[in-house]
Order: sequence, then structure tokens, then C-alpha cells
Amino acid sequence: MKRMTLAGLSIGLGLLSAGLYAHAQSAPSVTFWVRSADQGFVEPLVKAYNAKGGTQVKLTVIPQDDFVTKFATAVAGGAAPDIVAVDLVFLPAFAKSGEMTDLSALYKSLPYAKSLSPSHMRLATFENKVYGVPFSAESSVLIYNKDLFKKAGLDPNSPPKTWAQLETYAKKIRALGGDTYGYYFSGACAGCNIFTFAPLIWASGGDVLNAQGSAATLNTPQVKAALSLYKRLWDAGTIPAGSKTDSGTNFFSAFATGKIGMAGSGAFSIGTLKKDYPKLNFGVAPLPGQNGNSSSFAGGDVIGIPAGSKNVSAAQDFIKWALSPEVQVQQFAKNGSIPVRSDLASNQYSKLDPRYVTVSNLMTKGRTPYSFQYSELINDANGPWLGMIQDAVFGSGGVDAAVKKAQDRFTQILNSN
Amino acid sequence: MTPHTADLRLAPAPRRASTKGRWTGLMFILPCLIFVASFFMVPLAMTAWMSLNNWPLLGKPSFIGLRNYADLAADSTFWSSLWFTTKYTLLVTPAIFLVAFSMALLVQSKRKLVGLFRTLFFLPVVIGLGAASLLWIWLLNDQVGVFSAVLMRLGIVKEAVQWLGEPNTALASIIVMVVWKVSGFTMLLFLVGMQSITEDLYEAAKMDGAGWWASLWYITLPLLRRTFALALTISVIGSYLAFDQFFIMTRGGPQNSTITVVYWIYRAAFTYFKLGYASALSMVLLVILVVINLIQQFLLREPATRQVQTSYTGKEGVS
Repeated sequence: MKRMTLAGLSIGLGLLSAGLYAHAQSAPSVTFWVRSADQGFVEPLVKAYNAKGGTQVKLTVIPQDDFVTKFATAVAGGAAPDIVAVDLVFLPAFAKSGEMTDLSALYKSLPYAKSLSPSHMRLATFENKVYGVPFSAESSVLIYNKDLFKKAGLDPNSPPKTWAQLETYAKKIRALGGDTYGYYFSGACAGCNIFTFAPLIWASGGDVLNAQGSAATLNTPQVKAALSLYKRLWDAGTIPAGSKTDSGTNFFSAFATGKIGMAGSGAFSIGTLKKDYPKLNFGVAPLPGQNGNSSSFAGGDVIGIPAGSKNVSAAQDFIKWALSPEVQVQQFAKNGSIPVRSDLASNQYSKLDPRYVTVSNLMTKGRTPYSFQYSELINDANGPWLGMIQDAVFGSGGVDAAVKKAQDRFTQILNSN
Repeated sequence: MTPHTADLRLAPAPRRASTKGRWTGLMFILPCLIFVASFFMVPLAMTAWMSLNNWPLLGKPSFIGLRNYADLAADSTFWSSLWFTTKYTLLVTPAIFLVAFSMALLVQSKRKLVGLFRTLFFLPVVIGLGAASLLWIWLLNDQVGVFSAVLMRLGIVKEAVQWLGEPNTALASIIVMVVWKVSGFTMLLFLVGMQSITEDLYEAAKMDGAGWWASLWYITLPLLRRTFALALTISVIGSYLAFDQFFIMTRGGPQNSTITVVYWIYRAAFTYFKLGYASALSMVLLVILVVINLIQQFLLREPATRQVQTSYTGKEGVS
């Protein structure tokens, strides 16, 4: 008797859960993958979209470092999501290998198409077809500690505009002694340095790759001068020792301790500093070139539809919604991110804090390297970009040797495919 | 019949199995055979096939014969990673064995608190290698880590040491972490081996006037030969396949000085997206490991002069 009751119960439960499951599956749904860095602003976004009823979006957050591998493996295995938000630097490689659906028609149908971030669109375009549209924007800036500036006798409203000024200010702040340092950069993080160090080179008229991404331009005076600047800052002790082994963990937190005078960072830091470190009096400035001028890395995510998705129109619907003012202003701008549409850059939230307008303008004028081998050349922790910086700044072989080695390795990689 | 050292040298007697017995035996090992076939043989064959192709993660594969192997022969980073992995194995294996054997000697007796120490020594083994690596990154940290703080307090160094910032100290730190983590397991292997040696042997030796060192040298070590061989095989293979700690603690740095073979294979597959090339690297590593294992088996084989014959009829003889 007992056995029958138990069997009956378990069958009943099984049927019940199957029924509930089937019911849950009946609402149309699309899968959406983002990288962990986006989690903060994407989760409220997806909640808001799902609350409207209709197509449900199932969000999966993938750890930053594994994203490309996981995505590529999923596409190769036929298990790709319906929508994906990818770091824009990877779009050329994905588009070239046919991983993304052609979105040219969607792009042309948007009335504000021309005001979409130019860097994003350049990287999402391959052979005159559009494979993605901007989703989130990130640009690099110089953040500086106004209180430390005042203590060191510097004008807190006058950030450095040339490298000579940067060096002088860094030394003056270091002279305050103790564990106060003038400058910081993550010495073992490849991505952090293309983000905050490359703009120093761009603002001085140099570049890492040529315009087509087919040859390296490292063996140039501008690159050597920029490396020498970092080397002098390091040798003079204006940078903390921990920078050498920082693989990005302290990219933001070092400055947040309030003991660093200046550091390269991203627009994301403005919101986080205001919210979590309200006592830190900080300013935001463009990353300077050797003799004036400024530049920025225009980054962020591009949103697209992987090839083979079966829910293309539902996915396109979500993408169009993500570009609307409801999202770009009411969600992103309100929470401290910058809109990807220049026609929305000046909005009710940016007016409250002029630092955001600085950053938005920088993004429009910013640059992004275009390369099909971005991972191997630039993002690789053991690759030639980071290797060059480490050899030149921390090593003893000198800047020229480091540059030559990197130039040769870049050329080898570019010619191997 | 007096117990004799010969008793421990029983060679397996040949047995004539019946046909029915054979089939039953086969049925028993069939699940294991299926497991090994599907999780080892099939992937091995697939890897071998992939190594003959240009197989990008994004895009279509194409057959290129032995070109991956030709590229690999010219890949200087692969050979230096192989050399580095060998150097690491040569350093870490004696360290593990020394520590593990000492710990086993300490906890083999049945004194008070021995059980507690046995547990404490074994505890690091059960933490995953990934978690242990993360833990040690923070222990070695110059600002909040324990080691720098202790050294500074003791006045041995003036400012915090960047353990993971120089090639030599980075390797040394990783070796210390691995010894801490893994010795407990090897200790367990030694303990099991030691406990299978009968007490009578030690008593007999004591009656003959043997001291502690003589017992160790003439009784314990020789009888631990098989345990030693097993532990050595496991340890060397594990060291050659080291990846987690180098990936998490140093990412192959500083300045690419701590890249192991498996780390290089990982990079070929998941940074450069060259699955075919990574497969070729894996095949070469496999061959190297098999060769090393064969050499080990040969060096640690039972020496012929001390082999004895004992049959199941109970007659004893020493040759």
C-alpha cells in the first residue's frame, strides 16, 4: 500500500512539474549573452523589457575573460544565443568568419542611424555590410585626485595637457611622501593599456596599427616617446610597485584608495566613484598627447545576432528597443553610462554632471584599432603588445629593443593568417 | 613456517582460466572498457585527426597533413615551455617527496594527536587547485599578504617583496604553494605503503641491533619501492600537466617566464583559436609523457637478484 502511494505521488509530481515547465516555455523567449563587465547595467534593462510582457529575454552573464572562447565555442557547436553583446574590438574577426547575421537592413531602417557611434559602426562593418549596432559606450579618460593636486600645490581645475606637465605633476604628488603616488597603470593587463596608454600615442600623432590593420606601426618616434614617458615615471618611483604585476584587478581600485594622483580609466569609473566613494574629490580630463592634443579609446559593446539564430525578428525587436531613448537616456545615462547616440548625448542627466559631457564628446572623437587578429596582437596576456610595454618600462633592455621585438612579432602574426 | 622476507615477494602464479570464466571476466570489465573507450580512446583518435587539420575555432577546418607538426618543431616558445616544465618538475618532485615522506614518518605511529596531524596535513589536498592559487595570490600580495608582513616585522626585508614580480621568486612561490597543497596526498600513499609492512620485521631488526636509521634504510625504503614508483609516476605526470597555478597566479608572467606546456596548448587553442595546432601540441606532449613513464618503469623495476620463487604449495626457497 505504502509503495503505491509513493509511486503515485512521484508520478503526480512529475506530471505537475512537466506541466508547469511546458507552460513556462509557451511564452516566446530569446537568449541574450553579455560579458560580466556589463552585468550592472544590463540586468535592470532585461528586467524592464520582460516586464512589458511579450517576448521574454533570458540573460546569461559570462565571465569577462572567457567570453570570446565561450561564444566562439557555442557558435561552433550550434548552440549560440539569439542576441549577443560583444566587446566591439572582436566584431571584425566574428564578422569575417561568418559568425554574425547581416543587420544592414535593420541599420538602414533607423532614423538616427547617422548619429550612432562612428567607432562602433566602423568595427561592425565588414565588406560594406553591417553586422552589429552599438549597445554600450565606454571611452577612456584621465581621472585625477583634486585633493592631492591641492596638497601638492597644483591647481585642481587644471589637469595636465602635455606629457611634460604629467611628469611634473606626478613627481610633485609623489613628493607628498608615504604611500601617496603620482600615477598608476595596470602593468600586467593588456586590455587596460590599449584602453589608456594607446590614446597617449594617438594624441601625439602615432598609432599601433595602420588604418587597414594590415601592418604594425610600433617602430615610430611617438610610440618610443610614450614608452619612455612611462619608463621615466616608473624609474622616478611615482608609480606603486604593485603596478608591475597588476593584471587588471586594481585597475579601478588603486585610484579609489585616494592615494593616487592620476590614472587612466574609463567613463564607468565616474558613476562608481560617485556612488561608492563620495568623499573622493576627482576630476576627469582627456588623455593628453606629447605636446597638447588629446585622444581616447572609443570602446564598449556592439549588439548583434549570431548566425543560425531562429528568433531573428524577436531579437531585432529587442535591439531596436535597446537603442531607444527609453534605454539610452532613462536607463544608461541615468545610471552613469553614456548613450551610444550622439543625438542623445546632451540629456537631462548629463546636464547634472558636466563630466559626462566631456566623456561623451571624447567618445565621438575617439579611436578604436581595427584588426582581425585583435586577440593575438593586443588582448593576449602573453602577447606582443603587453610584452612591449613590460619590456620597455620594467625591463632593462631599453625601449628600442622592446619596440623592435614587438614590431617583429606583430608582423609575424599579421603575416601568418 | 617462519615469516620470511620472501613471503612479500610472491610472484603471481599462472592460472588456467576456463572459457566460461573468461566470458564472465569480460562482462565484469566491460563497463570499464566502455568508459575508457568513450572517454579516452575516442577523444584521442579525434585529437589525432584534428592535429592533421587547420582547425580554427571560428570557421571551417581544412586538411593540411603534417604541417602543424612542422610548425611546432619551429615554435621556440613551445620548446622553451617544455624546458621550463621539465625544470619545474625536477624542482618540485624532490620537494614534495621529502616533505611527504617526513610527514608520513611523523604520523605513522599510533600516538595521541596523530590523527589530528594526519588530517591537518591532508587538508590542503581537498581544496581545489584553483581556489588554492587564488588564496596564495593574496597571501603573496605585497600590501595585504602575510609573507611580506612577517618578513618585514622580523626585519629580514625593508620593504614588501613582489613575490610574483620576478621570474625566480615567482617560480619559487608557486613551488612552495604546490608542495603545501599536494604533499598530503603523497603522504597518504606512503602511509598506506608503510602500514602494509609487518611490525615483526622491525622487531626482528631491533633484535639484530638495528637503529632507527638502519630500519629506515634497510626495511622501510626497499619495501616502499612500489609505492614510491606509483607516487613518482603520479607526481611527474601531474607536474608535466601543470596549468591551473600558472594560469591563475602569474598568467605565464612575469614577462612570459612561467609558461608551461599545457598553458601554451591552452593559448594556442583559446587565444589564437588554432585547435588543429593545439591538438598537434597535445599529441607531442602525450608521446613525451609516455616515454618518461616508460623510463620511470624501467628504472624502478624490481631488481632481478632479489627475486624469490615461492609456489602455492608452500615450499620456500631463496635463489
